[in-house]
Amino acid sequence: MAEVILTNVQKAYGEVLAVKELSLDIKDHEFVVLVGPSGCGKSTTLRMIAGLEEITSGTIAIGGRVVNDLQPRDRDIAMVFQNYALYQHMSVRDNLAFGLRNRRVPESEIGAAVARAAKMLSIEPLLERRPRQLSGGQQQRVALGRCIVRNPKVFLFDEPLSNLDAQLRAQMRLELKELRQRVATTSIFVTHDQVEAMTLGDRIVVMKDGVVQQVGTPLDLFRRPATRFVAGFIGSPSMNFLDMQLAAEEDQFVLHGRGFAFRIPNGRFAALGSHVGGVVCVGVRPQHVRLGTPANAGEIGLRGTVAVTEQLGDEQILAVRLGDNELRIAGVDPDLTLPAGTAVEAVVAAGNLHFFQGEGARITG
Amino acid sequence: MTAIAVASAQSRDFFSVLAPGGKRVLFALAAVAVCLLFAFPVFWLALTSLRPGTGVYYVHRGTEFTVDNFHEVLSQEIVLKALFNSFIISTLATVLSLGVTMTSGYMLSRFKGPIPNAWFSLIYIFRCVPYVAWVLPLYFVTQRLNIFDTYWGLLLPHVAVHICFFSWIMKGFFDGIDPSMEYAAMIDGCSRWGAFWRVAVPSAVPGLTALAILCWLYTWNEFLFALILTSHETPILTVVMAQFVHELGMEWHLMSATAVIALVPALIVTLFGQKYVIRGLKV
Repeated sequence: MAEVILTNVQKAYGEVLAVKELSLDIKDHEFVVLVGPSGCGKSTTLRMIAGLEEITSGTIAIGGRVVNDLQPRDRDIAMVFQNYALYQHMSVRDNLAFGLRNRRVPESEIGAAVARAAKMLSIEPLLERRPRQLSGGQQQRVALGRCIVRNPKVFLFDEPLSNLDAQLRAQMRLELKELRQRVATTSIFVTHDQVEAMTLGDRIVVMKDGVVQQVGTPLDLFRRPATRFVAGFIGSPSMNFLDMQLAAEEDQFVLHGRGFAFRIPNGRFAALGSHVGGVVCVGVRPQHVRLGTPANAGEIGLRGTVAVTEQLGDEQILAVRLGDNELRIAGVDPDLTLPAGTAVEAVVAAGNLHFFQGEGARITG
Repeated sequence: MTAIAVASAQSRDFFSVLAPGGKRVLFALAAVAVCLLFAFPVFWLALTSLRPGTGVYYVHRGTEFTVDNFHEVLSQEIVLKALFNSFIISTLATVLSLGVTMTSGYMLSRFKGPIPNAWFSLIYIFRCVPYVAWVLPLYFVTQRLNIFDTYWGLLLPHVAVHICFFSWIMKGFFDGIDPSMEYAAMIDGCSRWGAFWRVAVPSAVPGLTALAILCWLYTWNEFLFALILTSHETPILTVVMAQFVHELGMEWHLMSATAVIALVPALIVTLFGQKYVIRGLKV
């Protein structure tokens, strides 16, 4: 068990900086998820921690020891790969025992450790099979077993669920969570799937273009996204963004969109004061908009017409046209029939609005 | 309906898949004709080897058969020595070539940078040189290094040719093996070399077996290098065979008998190895 500390870590490929000035403090036993779109540097970061990529600058410490110059085998880590990376020419038993044999652990101990891991992951009947005789889910379990059996300081997961179909992925997600309760090793999990990040992580690190956008708990990220990118990336369906002109009128701010406008009390959003006369980006989650009319002064009413409906069975998602903008509303009664062009009224609590500087940082209030 | 169609397609034989309907018979006849075309010279060779020296020009009309030709060639020391030398050279060339080709192919597959690029270019340039153009320089080099007419004098050129040709094929095998396995091995306690030997090489075994068989057959059948780079000290079977044509005449019956003897190990290797070759080259 160990903490992992990254200090000003950079990775350059020629002129291109894949990871820029990354600093991260991962506590002992913590499960941290690195999430972001393809090419954001999350896998490169993980491979640098594993020792599979050299670091251009900065330091990485595992368990208080700087590991920059250590070979992967000397870092006491274990890694699960996207495509499982099981040794195809070995049986499942030999796959599990491989790491221990390399460390010259006595065969009796290896046998016990393999049996323990196999029991924990319910792969005992598969021990004599070859990896190619296993299903994707079974292979993933064996890959997990190969990590567990070594009892390393840190687990690294490189998109381990992305090769599974949706149903199996959901099941493996649950199994991973259960496994965490039994094996509380420090873990770093890389994914591009925000649902995996939200469900698995104690903390989430959102990355874009090699830069950390925000580090926080899943709820932090959902409720107070630090940038417009994080706001759009975390949450499904993703947040609605409306670029609006900000004006001040007496004790209210007026936000002018293309073809619509609404007012918000300025006392509650004092930080917006310095942006009066400019354009701000207003964000609102589809889950925070409902059909109806404002019930109190803290709610904002919006009028528009239905553009598209998406029927999900337990709910509908509406795309409502507001002037030239489109607003998605989640959680709509699935039995409601709303053909395209139907005029609707929607309402959102002012407290659920997020404000960003154009494409950039959150305007805190 | 679809299930029935699939089942019937699976149950169809080789000919009906390639040539459905009434063309099956024509296709089968064509296939037999092609097989006969290749088999006929071998059949004629075997027939000639069983005819007495006086009857080799009337193989098709003769009725007299004998195994004396085999007795005669097998009683010649040079033939036995050539058989032994060819076997040793083929086996050593295969082992040495694969040893170098494995690492060369792995480097070309896994590493980027000036050294792999230079190596790739060098191989490419050597491949562009016509085979026959190597012979004269190699003759002088082996003379100069005092390895003319020795195992090394023939082995080294063979290994060089194999490295140039098989490194590309080996690169293809390693390209088809997921590098994550090697990364996993490195995290599991192996060095880069350890990951290569314990994970990458065992995964490439089907391809390696195919190359080993092709390499062995190629060296066993090779004539040009053997002709130029060896003499009486290290006789090679293909050259000894050709020497039955000499200034006193042409001993076709003895040449045929030697060729049939030479055919046996090659046939065994081919029959044993064909499934590995097909499997390996499909990787």
